[in-house]
Amino acid sequence: MKIGRSFATLGLFFWAFITLFPLYWVVVTAFKAPPAVNGGPTYLPWIDFDPTLQAWRDIASGLRGNFVGTVTHSTLIGVTASVLATAFGSMAAYALVRFPFRVKLGSGLIFFAIAMGGYLVLLNYGGLSRSNSMLIAFSAALVVAVLVNRMHLPGPIMGNEDIVFWFVSQRMFPPVVVAFALFLMYSELGKSGLTMIDTFWGMTLVYVAFSLPIVVWLMRDFFAALPIEVEEAALVENVPSWRIFVDIVLPMSTPGLAATFMITLAFVWNEFLFALFLTNSKWQTLPILVAGQNSQRGDEWWAVSAAVMFAIVPMIVMAAILGRLMRSGLMLGAIK
Amino acid sequence: MIVLAMAIFPLIYSLSISFMHYRLIPPMPPRFNGLDNYAKILGQARFWSVIYTTSVIVIFSVFLQYVIGFAVATALNAKIRGSSVFRVLLLMPMLIAPVAVALIARMILNPVIGPLDQFLTMFGFPDLPFLSNKNWAMGSLIAVEVWQWTPFVILLMLAGLQTLPRDVYEAATLENASKWRQFWDITFPMLLPISVAIIFIRIIESFKIMDTVFVMTGGGPGIATETLTLFAYQEGFKKFNLGYTSALSFLFLIFIIVIGVIFLAIVKPYVEKRS
Repeated sequence: MKIGRSFATLGLFFWAFITLFPLYWVVVTAFKAPPAVNGGPTYLPWIDFDPTLQAWRDIASGLRGNFVGTVTHSTLIGVTASVLATAFGSMAAYALVRFPFRVKLGSGLIFFAIAMGGYLVLLNYGGLSRSNSMLIAFSAALVVAVLVNRMHLPGPIMGNEDIVFWFVSQRMFPPVVVAFALFLMYSELGKSGLTMIDTFWGMTLVYVAFSLPIVVWLMRDFFAALPIEVEEAALVENVPSWRIFVDIVLPMSTPGLAATFMITLAFVWNEFLFALFLTNSKWQTLPILVAGQNSQRGDEWWAVSAAVMFAIVPMIVMAAILGRLMRSGLMLGAIK
Repeated sequence: MIVLAMAIFPLIYSLSISFMHYRLIPPMPPRFNGLDNYAKILGQARFWSVIYTTSVIVIFSVFLQYVIGFAVATALNAKIRGSSVFRVLLLMPMLIAPVAVALIARMILNPVIGPLDQFLTMFGFPDLPFLSNKNWAMGSLIAVEVWQWTPFVILLMLAGLQTLPRDVYEAATLENASKWRQFWDITFPMLLPISVAIIFIRIIESFKIMDTVFVMTGGGPGIATETLTLFAYQEGFKKFNLGYTSALSFLFLIFIIVIGVIFLAIVKPYVEKRS
């Protein structure tokens, strides 16, 4: 018993060392002067080497790329996308928890057939541009699918569980499938006058769409864990359901909302692939700039470290907050 | 609805492109060519090498993540002093941008300035080719993946451990079952469902690996560490071969689904046997 515990502690310290050493290394390197880096590894400030602010001055002077702008972009896009995704996602999650939906598989297939077929037909024979034929095919498919859903159809009926599964299964898609198509679509939209590539709304929209599955998945569990009696009482008094959602449900699930918001923010903040495909200079986000540090001016590791710190410090602060939330047992509901 | 459109349209669009001969450079009008793109990819040795590389990275890194993650979670659960501090610290790698992690890894592994090289030289292994030799590069990528994503396993396994009922263990202790037996006969089987879920998520996510490879090796040396997403990026953005890239990404999707289904099929009897 005693031996087992000290063994566990030892193992923990070992893993903690492995986890923390690379982070320590970045912090230390960011304050080294060039000779202290290139002359071989040095470990302790003031003993091995004299800390300087050289790297930070380089960054502040704009020598390493537009950091101020990029951090602002990342923050703006990240916060907006996370707010929107959390808002839409929790509405969807609430609806999925409290109201039964029945979507017939047949109508889903019809939707897909019309959207895809209509798009191809309009594009090749209707003489319309890509974005127009897409828009028309999509709205037509939506209207028809909703109408068809009311009729009797053969084939299985999908309930809420299936819808949630469908939502979550979107996470399975390799993002490169979508990122590439999005790039093409955005350039089409660009030709018809609506610039989406390298813009704030272009990026935000993508991130909202791609955070939604996580948000719905997390929030659904939070909502399902809420006691239903309060809502039933409100229903009896004829309170409209949106009022129930805003005034009762949302306040009760504030911790869940906060956690979901932060997880989404972390996802957007760190996202690399979409940013790589869809931005070039004006709305570049932080991961792209940081990745570029490597090749831009050779291996100036002290400056690279400082750049890396820009990307990780906000996330480490969030890790601390998330850890707090986790300790209060809040994350438990989310993973069952 | 806009959001739905954002999710569905790209799929429809690229599915339609994947059946066409479509290049941006040199610009040519798109031409329908059926399954040609798919046939071409499947006949290409590079595609299979990429699949192999990605699978090796995924299998090894997910396995190690699970084993280490489970061990650390068990240790954390054992009411060690200061475990709440550990919890926050151990969570961190997961939240750091993979790009940043890859850059840190390059620093650590650097043969001149990196501390790891100096450390190993002390033990008589100077100048190991961490990123320039094929096998070492794969190993380094796997190590970085493990470093970054083990916290995810720790986080979820810990949550799972905390839901286990206390009385079962008390009964087991009364019957003098050893800790080791308790682990294999109680803890492991009871956590099997959540383990399956975690491994499943990690497999799916790991197959998408791109940022780390992009920064650490760029797919090199040669194409020895090129992964699926990176391959698609190279084809799409370096060669602008759009039809081909779309077909490639759909093959990728099919591949992931097949892997997922196989994994669930293998695991299912074990999970059901328990319950």
